[in-house]
Amino acid sequence: MFGLKRFFKKLLKDDTKKVEQKVTVEALRNTFTNRYLNFKTLLSTNNKVLELITDMEETFSGSRTFGMSFIRANCTAISVNMYKIISCLNEIADNKYKELPLILEGILPKIDRELQQKKLETGSELVLPLESIDKTMADHVGAKMANLGEVKNAVGLSVPEGFVITSAAHERFMKYGNLQDEINRRIQFLEPADIARLHETSFYIQNLIAAAPCPPELEDAILNAYNDLMEKAGHGFHVSMRSSALGEDTRDASFAGQYRSVLNVSRENLILSYKEILASKYSVPAVSYRLNKGFRDEDIIMCVGCMTMVDAKAGGVMYSADPGNIRHECIIINAVWGLGKSVVDGSMAQDLFVLSKKNPKIILKKEISAKKQQLVSGALEGTRLANITEEQASKSAITYEQAVLLGELALCLEKHFGAPQDIEWAFEPDGSVLILQSRPLMVSDKKPTGINDISESKVDLPVILTGGVTASPGAASGPAFVVETTVDMLQFPPGAVLVARNPLPKWAALLNSAVAVITDKGGVTGHMAAVAREFKVPALLGTSTATEHIRNGDLVTVDATGCAVYAGKAESFLEKEAEKTSLMKGSPVHNTLGNVLKYIAPLNLADPDASDFTPEGCRTIHDIIRFAHEMSLHELFGFKKDASSLEHLARRLVINVPMQWWVVDLGGGCREGMQGDTIGLEDITSVPMLILWEGITAVPWKGPPPIDTKGFFSVMYGATMDRNLVPGIRSRYADRNYLVISENFCHLSSRFGFHFSTVEAFFGEKVAENYICFNFNGGAADDVRRARRTELIKLILEKFDFWVQIKGDTLFARLERQEVPFLKERLKVLGHLVMHTRQLDMVLSNSERVNKYVEKILKEVSSFVDVSQ
Amino acid sequence: MEEIRMLLVDDEDDFRTTLANRLKLRKIDIMDAGSGNEAIELIRQKPFDVAVIDVKMPGIDGIETLKQIKQIKPAIEIIMLTGHASIESGMEAMKLGAYDYVMKPCDIDELLVKTGEAYQHKLLKEKEK
Repeated sequence: MFGLKRFFKKLLKDDTKKVEQKVTVEALRNTFTNRYLNFKTLLSTNNKVLELITDMEETFSGSRTFGMSFIRANCTAISVNMYKIISCLNEIADNKYKELPLILEGILPKIDRELQQKKLETGSELVLPLESIDKTMADHVGAKMANLGEVKNAVGLSVPEGFVITSAAHERFMKYGNLQDEINRRIQFLEPADIARLHETSFYIQNLIAAAPCPPELEDAILNAYNDLMEKAGHGFHVSMRSSALGEDTRDASFAGQYRSVLNVSRENLILSYKEILASKYSVPAVSYRLNKGFRDEDIIMCVGCMTMVDAKAGGVMYSADPGNIRHECIIINAVWGLGKSVVDGSMAQDLFVLSKKNPKIILKKEISAKKQQLVSGALEGTRLANITEEQASKSAITYEQAVLLGELALCLEKHFGAPQDIEWAFEPDGSVLILQSRPLMVSDKKPTGINDISESKVDLPVILTGGVTASPGAASGPAFVVETTVDMLQFPPGAVLVARNPLPKWAALLNSAVAVITDKGGVTGHMAAVAREFKVPALLGTSTATEHIRNGDLVTVDATGCAVYAGKAESFLEKEAEKTSLMKGSPVHNTLGNVLKYIAPLNLADPDASDFTPEGCRTIHDIIRFAHEMSLHELFGFKKDASSLEHLARRLVINVPMQWWVVDLGGGCREGMQGDTIGLEDITSVPMLILWEGITAVPWKGPPPIDTKGFFSVMYGATMDRNLVPGIRSRYADRNYLVISENFCHLSSRFGFHFSTVEAFFGEKVAENYICFNFNGGAADDVRRARRTELIKLILEKFDFWVQIKGDTLFARLERQEVPFLKERLKVLGHLVMHTRQLDMVLSNSERVNKYVEKILKEVSSFVDVSQ
Repeated sequence: MEEIRMLLVDDEDDFRTTLANRLKLRKIDIMDAGSGNEAIELIRQKPFDVAVIDVKMPGIDGIETLKQIKQIKPAIEIIMLTGHASIESGMEAMKLGAYDYVMKPCDIDELLVKTGEAYQHKLLKEKEK
């Protein structure tokens, strides 16, 4: 596997060739290598946990929908990785921090309790009447029924009477038959490409569920609810049973039509049909969809809505917007005689109505097709096809008044839910209308709607550009705002059009406030495009020239659907953006995330010199990470009593650069047979180190160079300066630069005063293994200045395609899976930054100066870095 | 080239054999066991670098298997696999000395990376002695 074994063996091998060297030196080297590799693991695990925390925080404050499984998975991953961090630290420090696991174990059960509480909160009721359901109960009744409950109870529209067999019921069912373990075993590691096995597994599992016994208390609960329903409804003795899955709404995914719905079910067949719907979770399309889209099987829980069977005279589906072309300000209605199911599956000729969204009384288009048959409830059970009288066949299934009424309902639902809706409806014989379903319309599904010939309006504004791809359809107008860096992000005005060179995933955070997106590069399948669709923000990507032609503040109209950008505001065809409201806020799941974050995210330990910078002072997960990180540096590079291995292993680099640099070779980083305490640059064979060095030395540093010659453990360059900066606080560390190298690898640790940074690069044989990364730890000095410096570094790194994240006082940046030439140029940038940002705290007295220095540094960098790479 | 010697423990035959075959293709020297007891027997008889163990198994479960293997051959690095994310069981596994605790469905490449890390860790420990 990737020659991994060989690689590690090589990394750790005894250099038997160097017999002339003392055995003790080799032993020291081994010890150091061991500690160093633990340090590496600690750093990468540290970053992983910070990423998980950031993900949770962003989810908490964002508008993305998530479930308990998201929280549980992240918390578990954090817990496990925390053990790793602590164990690495203890391996580096000879078990010095024995109390840390206990501190961690004081925090984790608190998090676990929050998660367990939540599980009970989801409710233990096996069935719930529709009257008691609203949108916040998606975890208990599934998104579809939660929405329908909302339609009934909050919007106040008519829906059929009914009840929901809940997620608790599904869990009870699975537990009773002891099914989940067996299913998990069968389903895991299924590959979507293996169609044969997919079918086999699907068939097996569906049979398993259908044959499993229903727990008696569940059966009773369902039959009792059915009896109550019949008593209340007073008519009809059959129900429709619809799947309402939980967890399917967690991403931009429709799941449309994957699960079963059973119409016209009698009391005798309730349980059987219920099991059929549960089993449909494992239908071939459902299983392969989840596999392909990366959904976790266990996250999908089937709730089932049971509602009185509607004796529909006419039925159908409507969209409160045109998913294919949002520019068409219209409502689309498809209608048939009888049950609307045939519209959903497209099995029969249907009528089309297109209404103006501004005024649903205006019919923009009407197509009445010749309908031969209709779907109706069977006399005993199920549905059947019935012939239509000739008179009916050519008539519209709904009247003009009914169409207008539907249009108004569509607008009302869109307004309430804050997004275009896909609505199923039916008219009863007495003419009253019922809503059977309302769910977010996936505008990304660009099925041809056949109404492209409507043109409500024309645009006669100057064209700025045309072309690109519609990543998310729609049109919007606003002042342009060009985003290049994170600071730009912070200044992004709500209601502006986001213009950027690349559709970086991080810009997605702006989609709450942006009305549209235009980029030079990128395509439909990117993350940004997906999020744009999810957020329903029109996005025109890959225009090549947007940043060239559009300036900050220009008023533009983006027609993402028509792939054009106009100067000015084209009132005539702008989509009325549905108000974006997060339906998650305030829900039990959202609250749980907030509660667990209290034990995870806050950072109380900022200052390593503070008296509470101890294991006992750690109150949150973030505190422990911070503590472990600081102590690992201290143990590895801040030697106190056991000033052993580094002193023997490190060789001073003899070089005309005003600082001391020490090199530790893990193998293959220097010419063979090197001896003595010093080493010259010409002896270095480590490719990444040479490149990094090029960046470090490309522009001579002009600051005061207090060259220190006192020896290895003396304070080197810079500490004095930092002490001046931060009067009253003394640096606890000596300032050192260590380069740990091998042939393909280089790790630079630098500490200047309170700032600690690492640069690491690996240039291997495989592109997928290559990376460069940069960690910058701001220390505990001055919050404002620290933030400015971190911000400045971020600004610059982002210009060079780095993925940058700031968490607490740590900045981390990475570039991976790129070709070596591309990485080399960027590694030089890091070298330059390490060298030239150190003195900036002093000068970054205000944020204007940040920009000045960014320009200065970029100019310097351009003299030796080839960004065309 | 030497291969990492892995023991894969899962009571589900299909899953286990499929995963074993896929790992074999990726140059892992793999043996598999269908139960905790079987795994413990193998551990006594043969040398392994890494064991990948399902948490939920009938008979002696994954956590118990982990505990016993660590008693017999503490040097073997162990990766636990679980279908259910749970802080409690994650804590238990890590306290008992598991190298990692991975949630299913786990990408095979991810599993390989973890295996490599675990193996590296084992080498480090050996070196230390």
